[in-house]
Parts: sequence; C-alpha cells; structure tokens
Amino acid sequence: MSLFYIVALPFFGALLPGLMNSAGRAATAGVTFTVTLAAFVGLLTNLPSVLAGEVVMARVDWMPLLGLNFSLMLDGLGFFFALLILGIGLLIIAYGRNYLSRDDNMGQFFTYLLLFQGAMVGIVLSDNILLLLVFWELTSLSSFLLIGYWKHLPEGRQGARMALTVTGMGGLAMIGGMLILGQIAGSYDLSVILQNRELIQADPLYVAALILILLGCFTKSAQFPFHFWLPHAMAAPTPVSAYLHSATMVKAGIFLMARMWPVLSGTPEWFVIVTTAGLITMVLGAVIALFKHDLKALLAFSTVSHLGLITMLLGTGTAFGAMAAMFHILNHATFKAALFMSAGIIDHEAHTRDIRRLGGLRKLMPITFIIASLAALSMAGIPLLNGFLSKEMMLEEANHTVLFNSPWLVPVLATVGSLFSAAYCFRLIGHVFFGPVRDDYPAKPHDPAAGLWLPPAILVVLVVVIGVAPFLAEPFIKLVTASVLGDAAEVPKSYFKIWHGLVPALYMSIVAVVGGLIMLLIFKPSLRIWDAMPRPEAKVIFEAIVESVAKLARAIILPLHNGAFSRYAAIAAITMVAVGYHAWSTGTIAAPTREMQPATPVAVGGWLMLVAATAGMVMMHRNRLLSLILIGIVGLMVSIGFVFFSAPDLAMTQFTVEVVTIILLLLALNFLPNRTPVESTVLRRVRDTSVAIFGGLATFALSYHYMLRDAVTAPISEFHLANSYKGGGGTNVVNVILVDFRGFDTYGEIIVLGIAALLIYALTETLLGGPVRAHLLNRKPDQKRAGNKHPMMMVVLTRVIMPVVLLVGFYIFLRGHNEPGGGFIAGLIVSIGVVMQYMASGFGWASARLRYPYHGVIGAGVLIAGLTGIGSWFVGKPFLTSDFTYVRIPPFEEFELATAALFDLGVFLAVVGAVMLSLESFSRLARQSGGPDSEHALDIDPSRDDPKEPAEKEAV
Amino acid sequence: MIQADLNIIMPEIILSLFAIGALLGAVYTSKDKMGPMLVWATAGVFLALALWIGVNGQGTNPAFGGMFVDDAFSRFAKVAILLSSAAVLVMSQEYMQRKGLLRFEYPVLVALSVVGMMVMVSAGDLMTLYMGLELQSLALYVVASLRRDSARSTEAGLKYFVLGALSSGLLLYGASLTYGFAGTTLFSGIIQTATEGHTSIGLLFGLVFIIAGLAFKVSAVPFHMWTPDVYEGSPTPVTAFFATAPKIAAMALFARVLHDAFGSAVSDWSQIIALLSVVSMFLGAFAAIGQTNIKRLMAFSSIAHMGYALMGLAAGTVLGVQAMLVYMAIYVTMNIGTFAFILSMQKDGQAVTDIGSLNQYAKREPGKALAMLILLFSMAGVPPMVGFFGKFYVLRAAYDAGLAWLAIAGVIASVIGAYYYLRIVFYMYFGEVPDETLDKSHSPVLWGFLMASAAIMVLGLVNLFGIEGAAAAAAATLVN
Repeated sequence: MSLFYIVALPFFGALLPGLMNSAGRAATAGVTFTVTLAAFVGLLTNLPSVLAGEVVMARVDWMPLLGLNFSLMLDGLGFFFALLILGIGLLIIAYGRNYLSRDDNMGQFFTYLLLFQGAMVGIVLSDNILLLLVFWELTSLSSFLLIGYWKHLPEGRQGARMALTVTGMGGLAMIGGMLILGQIAGSYDLSVILQNRELIQADPLYVAALILILLGCFTKSAQFPFHFWLPHAMAAPTPVSAYLHSATMVKAGIFLMARMWPVLSGTPEWFVIVTTAGLITMVLGAVIALFKHDLKALLAFSTVSHLGLITMLLGTGTAFGAMAAMFHILNHATFKAALFMSAGIIDHEAHTRDIRRLGGLRKLMPITFIIASLAALSMAGIPLLNGFLSKEMMLEEANHTVLFNSPWLVPVLATVGSLFSAAYCFRLIGHVFFGPVRDDYPAKPHDPAAGLWLPPAILVVLVVVIGVAPFLAEPFIKLVTASVLGDAAEVPKSYFKIWHGLVPALYMSIVAVVGGLIMLLIFKPSLRIWDAMPRPEAKVIFEAIVESVAKLARAIILPLHNGAFSRYAAIAAITMVAVGYHAWSTGTIAAPTREMQPATPVAVGGWLMLVAATAGMVMMHRNRLLSLILIGIVGLMVSIGFVFFSAPDLAMTQFTVEVVTIILLLLALNFLPNRTPVESTVLRRVRDTSVAIFGGLATFALSYHYMLRDAVTAPISEFHLANSYKGGGGTNVVNVILVDFRGFDTYGEIIVLGIAALLIYALTETLLGGPVRAHLLNRKPDQKRAGNKHPMMMVVLTRVIMPVVLLVGFYIFLRGHNEPGGGFIAGLIVSIGVVMQYMASGFGWASARLRYPYHGVIGAGVLIAGLTGIGSWFVGKPFLTSDFTYVRIPPFEEFELATAALFDLGVFLAVVGAVMLSLESFSRLARQSGGPDSEHALDIDPSRDDPKEPAEKEAV
Repeated sequence: MIQADLNIIMPEIILSLFAIGALLGAVYTSKDKMGPMLVWATAGVFLALALWIGVNGQGTNPAFGGMFVDDAFSRFAKVAILLSSAAVLVMSQEYMQRKGLLRFEYPVLVALSVVGMMVMVSAGDLMTLYMGLELQSLALYVVASLRRDSARSTEAGLKYFVLGALSSGLLLYGASLTYGFAGTTLFSGIIQTATEGHTSIGLLFGLVFIIAGLAFKVSAVPFHMWTPDVYEGSPTPVTAFFATAPKIAAMALFARVLHDAFGSAVSDWSQIIALLSVVSMFLGAFAAIGQTNIKRLMAFSSIAHMGYALMGLAAGTVLGVQAMLVYMAIYVTMNIGTFAFILSMQKDGQAVTDIGSLNQYAKREPGKALAMLILLFSMAGVPPMVGFFGKFYVLRAAYDAGLAWLAIAGVIASVIGAYYYLRIVFYMYFGEVPDETLDKSHSPVLWGFLMASAAIMVLGLVNLFGIEGAAAAAAATLVN
C-alpha cells in the first residue's frame, strides 16, 4: 500500500467514529479498529521491500518554495515505529472499548485517538523535517485533546497544562533546529540531510541546531530536566496513558534522536548532553518510582526512567549503543504497555490505584496477576524475559562509556538505576498481588472480561517469546539498527543471546536484582527516610519558575508601560540619539565646504539672549504667563535673526505671527490656572533633564555639521531668483513664491486656515451650549482683575492709531509684490490693529461696530483667490497661472497690475477673517466667565460722569 | 498625460469621493441614523475596490512622474488593506451600535484612513509617503478617541496623537535630511545616491529618522509604548482596526522606503531593522506573559508579530519581502478572527476583556473554543496551522540572508511567546470554575468571521490559498 494511504487512513478514519457515535459503542470501536487494521495491513504489505533493505519512498511537492514537501520514507526504523504505533494502537482500541464507561463520549475519544495515531505514523514516516514538525505538533495537539478528554479531574487539568506547555514549547524550539539543519544541508529532505554529516557537524551553528532539536526531543520524551510533565499527564484515562505516555508519543523524541543519529551523534556535545540527560533521568525516574503509591504514577516514573535509559544508549554514539536502544524500545513498549493496561484493569475492577490499599490480588485476579507479574519481572531484568536482554546490553554499553573522564561514573549510575528499577518492579508485584487478601477494597476485584485482559496478554506473550528466543528478534532489530546508523557506522556483529558468559554486565545485573530485593525488604524504613527527606518537586519548581517569570514580566513591563507620557518620550528620545550615533559612526562624511562665519558681538548677544530665554522658559515653565512671554522673546529673537540674515519678508511675517499667536495664547491661557502643579519627582526631573540635554546636543551636532556643508544639488532659490520677475511679475521672490510659484500651496493653506478658525468657532459654540458653560459662569479667576479694564490711554491710542494701521496694512499689501510685504503680512497687521480695538475698548463695543461677519470675510478671501485661479482658464492657461501688465492712469506714474495681487487679496482677507474669528471665539468664552461685559468702551469716562450727558449715548 | 495619471489613482479618487460624499450626505440628512447603513456601504466599497484592484491591475504603472506607483507590491498590500478594513468594519457594526458609538463619522474616518494607507503603499516619493501617512494617521487619531465620554479612550487618543505627531516629526526630519543629501525626494533618485558601503552621514541620518518614524507606526520596540494603552483604551472594534489594516500599510510602506529608496544600501539598514525586530519579538513575548487583559495582551502580541514581519524586512532580499507579505496576510487573518471573538466577549451587555472570564469556556461553547484554540495555536506558530508557515518563511528569509542569529532569536522568542497563547487555551479547556460566565453571543457576523478565520488557519495549510505566488510577484517588483 502506498505510504500516503498509511498516513492518511487514520486521519480520514478519524471522521468515522464521530459519525458512528450514535450507532453504538461496538460500532464506534469497530470502525476505529478496522481503520487501524487497514493501515496496519497496509504497512505489512511493505514488509518485503523493507526486509530487502530498500527504502520505500512516496513524494508530492507541497510548498516547494519553503522546502516543505509531502515526502514519506519507509525504512527499517520507520517500519519498526509504525509497527509499534499501529500494533499497540490495535490493542489499545480493543482495550479502550471495554475500558470506557457508558457515560463517556466514545466517538470523540476514538476520533482524537485516530488523529493522534495518524500524526504519530506521520512522524515516523516523514522524509521531510518540516513535514515531521507538522506531525510532531499534531501529536501535541491531539494528545492535548485526549488528555483533556478526562477534564473533570483537577489534577488532570494541571497535567494537561504542563504537558501542553512543555511539549508545545519544545516543539517550537525544534523549528529553529530544523531550520538550521535544512539550511546547512540545502534541503529539508531527511534523505539529503542524513548524507551530510560532515557538513553539518562542521558548521558553526551545529551546536545551536543540536540544542534546539534536543529541546524538542527532551521535552517530548520527558528527559531531565523536562521529565516532570509526564507523570502529571497520567491523570488521563488509562488507554491514553498506555498508548501516548508509554508506547508511542513519548518515544517520538527518542525516534527523532535515532533518526538524526547519523548526522548529530558522535560529537562531544551530543555525547555529553544526551548521555548525561539520559543517565540522570534514568536514575531519578527509578528512585522516584519506587516511592510512588499510585500505580500509574509508579509506572509513569518508571517510563521516564526507561526513556532515560534509551536516551543514554543513543547518547553514547556507538553502534552497539544504538542497537541496544532499538532493542530496548521494542521490549519496553511490550512490557510497559502490558503493565499500564494491567494497572487500568486493577483501577477498573478495584476502583483504586493506590498500592497501599491493594494487596492480595493474586488470588482474586489470577489472570491479571500473571500478566502483570511477567511484564514487571521483564522490566526488572529477570532472565528469560525480554527486559533482561536489553538491560544486559545496556549495562555492557555502560561499562565502556567514559563520561567526564571517569570510567566508573556511568556503570555505577546504570547499576543504581537498574537496582531501583528492579526494586519498584518487585514492589509492584509484592505489594499489589501478594500479601493477605483485604476486605476493604473500594470494590470487589475480580478478573475482567477477556476484552480487557486479552490485549495485555498478547503483549506478554511477546515478552516471553523474545525473552526465551532472542534470535527471533535479532534480524529485525539489526535491520532497524542498520537504518538508524545509515552510513555512519556498521551494525555490530554480536548476537542476541541469553548467556554471554561471566561478563561484567552479568555481575551488575545480579547486583541490581539482589539489591532490588533488599530494597523491597527495607522499603518501610526507607520510605520514612524518603518522606522525611526534603526533595525538590519538579512540578513545584516548574510552577515557581512560571510564576516568577510572570512576576518578573509584570515587574518590568508594568512600570515601563504605566502610561506616563514623559517616560515614553524619554525612551523614544534616547533611542533616537542612539540610532543617530549609529548613523554617525557608520556613515561617511565629506569635508566641510563652508567657512565659519565670524562671530560678531551682535550675533553673539542675540544668540545668548535666545539661549537665556529658552533656558529661562524651561526653568520657569510652571508660571504659564511668564513662559508665554519668554516664548515671545524667543520668537522675536528669531525674527531679528531673519533681519540679521537679510530676510525682511520672513522677519516681518515672523514678527506679526508672533504677536497674533501670543495674543491668542494669552486669551486661551486665561482659562487655565496661572501655575502648573509640581507632579514630577526630583529623580524624574534629573532624568528628563539629562535626556533633554543629550537630545539637544545631538540635534546641535547634526545641525552644526549640516550647516558646514553645501547642499548636494543647487538650491531652488537660483531658479526662483531667475524666474521671479519673468514668470511672476514681481521682484520680491518670497511673495512671488507665495502667490505664484507655490500658489496652489498657498491656496490650500488659506483654506486650512479658514477651516481651523471655523473649527475653533464651532468648538466654542459647542462648549457654550454644553455643561462647560456652567463651569465658566462659576469660574473664579485665580488672579485679581484689574480695576480698570479699559484704560483710557489705551482706548484713545488704539482708536487714533487704527487708520494708520490700516494704511500701513494697505501699503504693505500693495508693495508686497516687489518689496518686502504681501497679503499675508498685511492681513496680520490689520488683524493686530483690530485686535487692539477689542482689547482696548472691549468686546461689546468692538463687535457692535463690526459690519461683516468674519465667516464671510474668510469665505470672500477663499473665493477671490479661487476665482483668480479659475480666471486663467478663460485664457486657456492652467489653474492659477498668473499674468501682469503695466497700466498708466494719468495722474499717477505707470504702475503694475498683476493677477497675483488679486490672489494676494484673497490671502489677505482669509488671514484677517481667520485670525479675527479665532479671537472672537476665545473672547466669547472669556465673556462667559468674566461676568457681564461692560457696555462702555471706557470704564472711566469723564463725559459719562457728567449728569447732563446720558451714558447711553456713548454706547451707540 | 494627466488623464493616464488619474486613471492610475482612480481607486483612491473613488474612495475619497465616497468618503466626502458620505460625510456630506450624512451631515445634511439623518446624521447618526445613517451610521449602520454607511458602515455596510463603506465595507461594500472596500470590497468592490479590492476586487477591482485585485482582478484588474497588472504591470507597473508609475503616475505623476513616479511619485505614485501602482505595481504588484502595492496591489497586494491594497487588497489586504481593503479586505481587512471591510471585515473589521462589518464586525464592528453591532458592537458600536450597542455602545452608542456608531456615529456616521466612524465609517467615513475609516475610509479616509484607508485612502491614506493606499497612498502610503503606492508612494514613490517622500512627499507622497508623508501625505499618505498623515492622512491615515490623522483619521486614526480621531478614531482612537471615538469614545469621548471615556477618560481612558480620550487619554489613549491624545497619547497616540502626541506620540504620533512626534514620530511624524521625526519622519519629516528624516525625509528633509534625505532630500538635502540626495537632492531629490523621488525614491528612484534617492536610490542612486545611497550606495552600499559609503553612504553619506546625512543620508544615513535621514534613513534612521525615517525608520524611527515608521517603527512608531508599526509599533516596533522601543517605539511601541503607545500600543498597549491605545489598544486597551480604544473601543474594541477600533482596536481591531488598529491591529490590522494600518499595520499592513505601515509595514508595506516600510518595505517600500527601504527597498525602493535605500535598496542599494541594504547593509546600512539591515542591522537596525534586525535590532528592532529582535527587541520587538522578545519584549512582545515577555510582556504578554503578565497580562490579564486580553486587549493589552493582543497589543503585546501584535508587537511581537511585527517583530517577525520586520525580520523578513531585515533580510533585505526578495524572499524577505515575500516572507513579510505572507506573514502580514496571515497575521491579519488571524487577528480578524481573534478580534471577532474578543468582540463577542460580553457579560450582561458589558464588554469583558479579562482573560479569567474564559475559564472553562470550552464547556459552554465548544465550537467557538475550538476555533479560538486553532487561532491561538496559529498565532503561537505551532505547525500545521498557517501561522507556522508565516513564521517559518521569515525565519528562513533571515537565515538565508546571513542573519542566522536573528532567526534563532526569533525561535526562542516564539517559544516564550507560546506560553501566553497556550495559557488562554488552558483557561478555556481546563480552567477553574469561573465566578462569572460570559453570555452567549448571538451575532452571526462575529461567529462567521471567527469560524472563517479559524478555517483558513487549518485549510490554508494545503497551499496557503496561493498567496505565496502573489507575494512572490509583489516582492519581485519591489526588490531588484
């Protein structure tokens, strides 16, 4: 049968149990059994080719770009494991059908089981390591579902969590290892990778790959220090424990180590890591197993211990070790599955798995007794049973293994492990089956129906047959070993036999068995010592680690992300300085092309004032009014800077903008307390100061170096100068830029300006209509109000000066096209003039004299500018093309008329409207809070004090 | 000439006109009553445009002298942006309506930000880039603080705005430095001045500032600080939106700038991106461990995911860009499903975001729990879920480009990150008996999105729905 079918059968078959669920338990189990049997038979059809030493391949490209192909390979090793998975699977299904109670959802159970089975078969038949990864994690997922099947048990929940976390994370780590292997070998196909031993072992990333892959293997196969999850996962139903946690899933890690043996093994790193982990696991598992009272926990730790044994054998890196490992896998699968099923039978019949509550079952459950005892004795390493054979081989191998330069370390520890192993096997037999029959079993135990005991019985028959006639298993194991070794080593010649003569391994074996018996005799006192002994519980350690990591994460992350804006900004600023430094240190820089300007006293003075104002603002920023004034100084200094560098246009613009914004800000600040409270600690201020200084210095350095060099391309100013008059009809380049070169931009900008003003207006309206109004009405200003709101001098002065201001504005507007000036500046100047009226004479007075609403002014401005632009369409030119001409109206000299001036008028109006609308909006708010506005422009008006003159007259 | 240019940006024009029309139409008619209708209409327009762009577009078409480029890369990103935005809009309708947040401006703002994103991914010039970015950001600032009566939401929005403005400033500074030293803002011009090995410092400064600005937009560490706050503070549908389309747009823009403008100086930026990538992955994974609020957790999760996507970029190769695109497509699909689930988490009409409320969820709603399990496994990168393929792609791209250390770091980060995804699975399947249980959600829309997303995560393993090929073509047009 094609390998595809063998892998696909369980997956597609997984649909059936769910569908058959309503057809009854027998049908559900039957269909599951049939599917597995079909796959099993399919596997057997490939036996001849495998025996002939061929490698059966099947391949479909899946995601070739990724290197992921659906390619399967069946060699001795794969066949061996597939046989175990499907064969034991058949027995487990038969067993599970009888084990599960009527309340359990059998369809669901068998669906998960088949999914798991398919994934396992997939792992062992994969020829592509990515495909293997896929199946690998599928086993984690399906085992999670299977363990979760028993979710009503609290310890089951914990177990499931740990199993999922540990194996899931291990699997993810393995992705990295597979990536490295695949990239080194240039292919993700195992058949290619296995050919590249030298290449891979010579690669600098070999160790990284090894560690990552071993992380996956060790977590899956419960090797130290990840051994703790397996016993806790045993809360799952017994068929699951027997199948997943003993026969198959936990062997996946071992399988992978065997699979990768030709490329990964043989290096000191492999030897030290794998052998040590295996050895520790073996001894640790055996010791803990002895003192477990739960039958399944005992078996679980014994499984851990035996997995350690196999791992250690693989770790030695010798051909003989690999062969012993393969043989032990077979033996362990048979006796351990039989033992698990027996434990399940006892649990099922006696309703307890606690060894302390059992005993004397020999007479009540004779069949179970025979099965369990034979299996346990095999595990203990008693001759004529298969466990003895592989254990002998292990001890033999241990004898030759020199770890950490010590020839006795491995043999002694292996013997200790075997000793404890024998001890718990004897304890299992002695404490469960021997002793007096008790009368306080939770249920009356008796042998179950054949459906339950037959599956383990079949396995025990195998145990005995291999034990008595090892030569039967020999060719098969050697075939498997050959495919493990690949081209890396020769299969050892030694024969499988019971009697090897008086070799050291035999003595070690005898020591182990006799020692095991002695341990059983002194079990009670040693249990007391064990219980009294403080011992680190791996589960507790795991949870402590997880908890402390979570705590650490919280401790670091929470304060870091506490929402404090200054912290966020500080981190961003520091990073920016750091990456800036990176850029500085990696880039090339040309020599400075510009001379330094001489530092004239005026420039230095201005610079110092600028610095002083800025520094003062930082120092006194808590006083809002003061800092506003200081900002104003900074702005003025900048304007002067423009003058200094002969840019009168910019200076004028900056200057007027400065005035307008300061007035608007003053109005806005009026609603805030004058001082901001101190919220930051000294420490934080020190931190912020240093960050700010760093950032400032970095910016300084950047600008300094930038200014020392000419731009790489000629600046656009040349073009502007050349075309200003020719194309735009003006000699003031700045203004021509505004109204012509970048007319589009300006047009957009005045629209934005208008929108902004309207927005301020709309917000004010909303605020005044909402709950804020009450706040404003009740607001108590924190500063005393001046007694004289509208000082007479000021009123008189502003009124007198108003026509002058308007005239200046008009003048600036007109000259703008050729001399410094223009619509924007003119707009601001006129605005300032009008603002002065508001400030001096009061809102009521000023707005009463307002003839056009500011909305309209803005609209008119935008409209005029737009129409000017559209006008050029009529002469077949694109939007906003400007034109100019000279006209002469007799009394005057010849003067220029440019369409740009019309456009500038639009700008002018929009600016005036926008500024005034914002101001008006702010003062509406102020009036709400400041009580009823005076009707009079002057608070103290001599003419009003005259009783003959009615006061109302003034207000008109 | 202009006609051809306009034809190329026709989808953007249509969407802009639609947004303006919808805004005016709603203002002058029934206002918020139009909300639900507009949500569906906007989603419909997105869908239609995605279809149009996906089916019709071919070749590389520069417009406006190369300032705007319509090529396979931008089309890939646009289709992803439009589809994910449509999905999030449709998902959000019920939630927003229930909370009284479904103002008519919401779909309009989303549409406008999508226009911005579409411009971003098509940018062929620093100015187009900035314009698109700002249009997108400005709309998002408003959307973030949509829930004006909640101090949290407002604070989140304000913080996002201030930090966003800061980053925009940085980006602009970088852009002007780049212009100053390259003499042009066109990507095609910059690439000729930025040459391998001896890039001038000014250009490098421009580059790092642009990178910093964009890193903020993709919320890469250490510019990620706003992410958890904004994710937590914003209404959940808005969070869902933040986690999807803008991320694709920013990431695509990132790729565009780096390859189109600085493609000849890969070594200059590869290390920086790799660094951003590695710290994002680790911080995202590590920080999420301690979180109990699922929205904050998703914030850190998205930070980690951006780290992986950046890993693809750091490779600086065709495969890297392809991997990044595949990763982003998968990431967005997963996030839509997950947020569909989060949106359905509620108790007595109140949204619940505590992970503890998911205890034993599987018992009550096995179907949804299974879908979530698949999504979470996929996000953790567990094979055979599609998330694994995305992750493997970027790992491979990084490894191929000689960044083996980055790939290994990515694997380790994914191992750490798996913990918190698995923790949610654990709560759902084996948690303690919860004090309060979530209500059963009856929204077919959310259910549909959750199930569809989970189904994609499983079925996608057949051939990733052919996205590989599209991504490969897209990457090929970008990197040359």
